[in-house]
Amino acid sequence: MSALELREIEVAYGGVPAVRKVSLSVAPGEIVGLIGPNGAGKSTTLHAIMGVVPLRAGSITFGGSSLGGLAPEKIARSGIALVPEGRRLFAELTVDENLRLGLAGRPNGGDPAKDLEVVRELFPIVSEFRDRQAGALSGGQQQQLAIARALVASPSILLLDEPSLGLAPKVVELVFETLQTIRERGLGILLVEQRAQRTVALADRTHVLASGELRLTLTPDDAADTERMVAAYLS
Amino acid sequence: MKGLARQRGALELLGPVALVAAAGLVGTVVSQTSEIYVVTALISVATVVAIYTFVGNSGVLSFGHISFFAVGVWAAGVLSVPESEKPATMPYLFHLLATTTVGNVPSLVIAAAVGGVFAFLVGLPLMRLSGLAAGIATFAILGITNNILRYYEKIGPGLNTFSSVPETTGLLQVTVGAVVVIVAAFAYQKSRFGRQLRAGREDPAAARAVGISIYRQRLAAFAISGFMAGFAGGLYIHFIPINVDSVYLDLTFITLAMLVIGGIGSLWGAVVGALFVSLLDSVLAEAENGLTLLGHSINLPDGSRIVVESAVMALVLVLRPSGLTGGREFSLGWLGRIRRVRLRGPEATSA
Amino acid sequence: MTGLVASGITSVLHDAVQPQAQVDAIGLGSIYALMAVGIGLVFGVMRLVNFAYGQLIMAGAFAIAYASGRGWPVWAGIVLCFAVVLLLSFAMDVAVFRPLRGQSAAVMLVATFAISFLLQSIALLWFGPLGKTATSLVALNQPITIGSADIRKITVVAIVTAAICLGLLLLLMSRTSLGLHMRAAAIDAPTARLLGVRANLVSGVAVLVAGLLAAVVAVLLTVQFPTVTPTYALQDTIIVLVGVVVGGMTRLIPATLGGFLIGYVSGLLGDALPSNQSQYLPSFLFGLVILVLLIRPDGLFTRGRGVVERV
Repeated sequence: MSALELREIEVAYGGVPAVRKVSLSVAPGEIVGLIGPNGAGKSTTLHAIMGVVPLRAGSITFGGSSLGGLAPEKIARSGIALVPEGRRLFAELTVDENLRLGLAGRPNGGDPAKDLEVVRELFPIVSEFRDRQAGALSGGQQQQLAIARALVASPSILLLDEPSLGLAPKVVELVFETLQTIRERGLGILLVEQRAQRTVALADRTHVLASGELRLTLTPDDAADTERMVAAYLS
Repeated sequence: MKGLARQRGALELLGPVALVAAAGLVGTVVSQTSEIYVVTALISVATVVAIYTFVGNSGVLSFGHISFFAVGVWAAGVLSVPESEKPATMPYLFHLLATTTVGNVPSLVIAAAVGGVFAFLVGLPLMRLSGLAAGIATFAILGITNNILRYYEKIGPGLNTFSSVPETTGLLQVTVGAVVVIVAAFAYQKSRFGRQLRAGREDPAAARAVGISIYRQRLAAFAISGFMAGFAGGLYIHFIPINVDSVYLDLTFITLAMLVIGGIGSLWGAVVGALFVSLLDSVLAEAENGLTLLGHSINLPDGSRIVVESAVMALVLVLRPSGLTGGREFSLGWLGRIRRVRLRGPEATSA
Repeated sequence: MTGLVASGITSVLHDAVQPQAQVDAIGLGSIYALMAVGIGLVFGVMRLVNFAYGQLIMAGAFAIAYASGRGWPVWAGIVLCFAVVLLLSFAMDVAVFRPLRGQSAAVMLVATFAISFLLQSIALLWFGPLGKTATSLVALNQPITIGSADIRKITVVAIVTAAICLGLLLLLMSRTSLGLHMRAAAIDAPTARLLGVRANLVSGVAVLVAGLLAAVVAVLLTVQFPTVTPTYALQDTIIVLVGVVVGGMTRLIPATLGGFLIGYVSGLLGDALPSNQSQYLPSFLFGLVILVLLIRPDGLFTRGRGVVERV
């Protein structure tokens, strides 16, 4: 079962702990949300999964094997793909080139043509603007390209770091709908977001992170219950 | 608390000064030939500290400082050669230069002044640049200076060897000179200007937000380091005859290497780097002449000295990229911890 | 006075536009362009300025000289040249570049200085200051007459070789996924790694290609300058470095154009200026460099941030 599991992980910058005793798991076919205020450690958690920052304690396993100490490019090629905060597209390369870059993350084997077709179907802009520079796209289009780029790596688990940042509400709706579709296709999704209510409504379960620690886990039933969530932030 | 900070500050100055003074003392007890190595080493200290004052505080690489050094060499040298001996190597001098002769200390002061003014003028346009552009632009200044000093015979000996300069730089003068430069560098980096420049290096956006003009602070550091480099040049020409190519590429590379190997971010690094590389060079030069060390006689083939030196330098950097001092100032850190525990008593054990 | 200056300038210009001067200048520009690519590739992918690049060329040239001194056939000398240069590149990469990855520019520069001096001094010990002479390809230095110009065969060979190499490189960078990965790593290495781009592979290829180009340059240079000394190609490296920064170091095409331009200008001025007026030429050129950097610090040929720039 290729589930991503974090067990009691701890990450520190210098001597300062950013993430403490965080445990969660993401299995294919489910969306797990991670919400919290700025500086709570959400991005740090994703960076730890991708091997960009080292773990001070705890373990991260994927499909049973440990990801500890592996280089980011190796983790990217093992079936976990990240859509980074701010998208981090290559503005001066074309849309098509950005997309093809995502192919670098494919675990060996498999025909990229099929995944490329799926992605083009999900995100028509990828074909429509294929020779346009990525930097010339609008915010929403860039977000679609970033997700498309991650998907062509044929991942089992998709990590997203604040995909709704800087996007108009209509576009955010589109993105969240796309995530549903991706879940239906069997991927596991770990969604880091600031839009608390929307995330809680979408995800199978949502963890609340504050000051580096997990405070609470919410389910879609709690989506309407904002007071409880506010209390969770303040505690 | 302020007392401890002041103590730490004083130590940061004391360390380099003590090391330099110790080197000077060593020079008094060794043979005549070895004394030459010591003097050269201390001139290197002055030069590298001058370069550090700009490069270490601003974070901008400059390849041009040896041009300020060279200008100091020229100024001090031309004005120190006795009038009767000038025509021998410098027959085309401007009348004013040909008829003016000054003493030892005035020549050093003038060398510093010329170096500083030249650096200021060069810095006016150049200090807007950063990174690679600044590196190449300062390198271009080095090239222009060398070109002019080489061919403009109205201001100096041109291609001739710069000889007949009174050899007033002995152990005492060079030690005092190096200490003066170190004190000046320390005073600058502790001053408001030095701290503003460092702030600008660490976080340019934040620095600008509080009103620091990075351009102005860089220009100030550039000019001050130009003074120091000119002064070091003055010391140099009073020590040994030189020609225009001894103050060009090789010297630029070796002084920059001394700084980086010592640790680019600290005064202590500049001093340690200069002394370390000089010591290495001296020992190897002796080994080329036949040297007995710990009962074994070492005789390196001629020219292998640079092989060993460059290999050692590369090795130091690969093993310890932050330099021998790690870019930190001199401190007695372990001593401080003991003192702190004693001051507060055994119950104070929090992290 | 102005009349004298004006006639001086017109005479220089007149000499400069002669076909022979033009072809020679393009020849030098082509060789410098290849060196610029070697330096620019490694810089783009590893953010490292390899000051010891000239020593790679020197080593290759010594290999050719060695082979010609032993009476080996020409092809054997060239093979030895390539072998020596590639081996040395690999050694530099493993011993110095990889351990210092991510360090500051100053550290990497001084480390490559040290390597440069190390190789120079080893060559000095081994071959002496007068060096060795490579006589095998001297025939290519003979001129053929086209119209009014005496063009040396080697100049034509240099231009054609450079064009082929640059063309192949363009294909590599724009048509292959490896090339795409290298371009991405040059733009934003951390994100490229997060997408799965293999950092070690990309930098290894950059070093390999740079080495191949150095070997090519060594072969081309030994024809025109058969005496190989320990400081062979050192001055050229410095000039190319200046040209690359002036052209625009962070992207491959501006860097290559910068290298070509400085080679072209150096070649023209070398031919066209009478020697008694060329004393202060370096100052003039350096002054020009400073001017360009003040106006366009990112490079003459780079377009602004984030606008059209394709390899």
